[in-house]
Amino acid sequence: MRTLQLEFYKIRRRKVGLTMAAFLAAQFLWGLWAFHDPTPSEQAQGFLSLLYSIPILDAVMVPPVMAMLASRLADIEHKGCMYKQLETLRKPGSLYHAKAVCGLLIIAVTFAAQYALFILLGYAIGYQGSPDITYYLLSYGLKLASNSALFLMQLALSMLFANQMIPLVTGLCGSLLGLLLMFVKMYSFLPWGGNLNSALVMMDWDARTRQATYYYREYSPVELAAVGMIFVWFVLFYAAGRVLFTRREN
Amino acid sequence: MHSSLIRTIKAEGLKLKRSPVWLTFLILPLISAFFGTGNYLGNQGILQNEWFSLWSQHSLFLCFFFMPALIGTVCSYLWRLEHLRTNWNAFLTAPVPLLCLYLGKLFQAVKVVILGNIWIFILYFLCGKLCRLETDFPPQAPEWFLCGILGGIVICCLQLALSMVIRSFAVPIGIGLVGGIGGMLIVNKGAGLFYPYSLYSVGMRANNPQMTIDLKLFAVSCVCYAVLFCGLSVIGLRRHEQ
Repeated sequence: MRTLQLEFYKIRRRKVGLTMAAFLAAQFLWGLWAFHDPTPSEQAQGFLSLLYSIPILDAVMVPPVMAMLASRLADIEHKGCMYKQLETLRKPGSLYHAKAVCGLLIIAVTFAAQYALFILLGYAIGYQGSPDITYYLLSYGLKLASNSALFLMQLALSMLFANQMIPLVTGLCGSLLGLLLMFVKMYSFLPWGGNLNSALVMMDWDARTRQATYYYREYSPVELAAVGMIFVWFVLFYAAGRVLFTRREN
Repeated sequence: MHSSLIRTIKAEGLKLKRSPVWLTFLILPLISAFFGTGNYLGNQGILQNEWFSLWSQHSLFLCFFFMPALIGTVCSYLWRLEHLRTNWNAFLTAPVPLLCLYLGKLFQAVKVVILGNIWIFILYFLCGKLCRLETDFPPQAPEWFLCGILGGIVICCLQLALSMVIRSFAVPIGIGLVGGIGGMLIVNKGAGLFYPYSLYSVGMRANNPQMTIDLKLFAVSCVCYAVLFCGLSVIGLRRHEQ
């Protein structure tokens, strides 16, 4: 607990909150631009469509954001050459754990704020009805799991490499992969496809009438396996990162 | 001035030695080309304009989403060393004019952009040949290439300014990514020539079915933005010195 408190203390002037707020602001502005003038059909399906749009937006935007967050948490020690000293005061495993928990708490708050912002946006532009709380909570849980797995992968890279270019470029490549995987299938076993797996709503596009119809997704066994893979990645990245960091000579 | 500039360019080159900068410009265009070609082959019913359709698939995501962030990565890397420990003191006390110090970094960033662009066009050519396109390679491609480099220089100047001011390695890259995505919206509104992050994609004719732009306005916009950001960076360096 003390180590976790210290992690928050260390980042108090590193503007991590501002970085996450900028990410949310960018998404919110995009939402305003994309949804500001809905047709009656879009208004009727509005809250349903958000469960499709948000994961797709996240598939592109979140990987570099997770890379940035992990880099902000880990780079402070690289810059000050602090790892050697820190590991004389506490076990490397607990240091890694504290950084992971610190990042995961920030992610949990960020995505809660993201859903709150988009729901507010939905009400503001006149979406009919109200969001289905069960599906929104489930979507939030899956999103949290998939993006936490991404964060843990990025944290492992950021802690292991002093050169932060490597984790950040991995984040950028992940973003491009997330975008391109979307064109292949709406699920993926890769860590960057987690946001696609967590989309609980699918869309049918009628090119003739130029209208989109949204419906709740019925997961096939393969898609369910892809969802399960998110949790495998989560455990794998945490364990691998912790073991590699603990064994590393600083 | 001339010999100082050459010395700073060499010094910045030394700082980049053995860094994995080149790797980023190798991998991302490769992923984009692979999926872009796959998408082109899968949608040939709609994409019937051969080389131009293939280019639309290659360039769209790379130019808007990733190139500004990639350039941001290089620029952040170029300033990272100065932000470590007391290296600013060593940097600013170097016996060369401040402008040369800045231009040394700009030269290296632009060099990477040029090499990256050459790689993008090599991939485009190879993918076109692999797809067995029947028409000739577009003669306008060198123009897209040069305009892309001009737009890339503007992003280099902007990202160098940001990375100089912001001590974090990651934040300027995030700004580059958001700036690039914002560029897509601005290009859709028809104002791409006035927004620095979209100049690269406008120059490369990404998401531009007509494949034409107002070249004069584009060049003026690029030169104005480049001079503005260079000027601001040098002023920032002078203030840093004081």
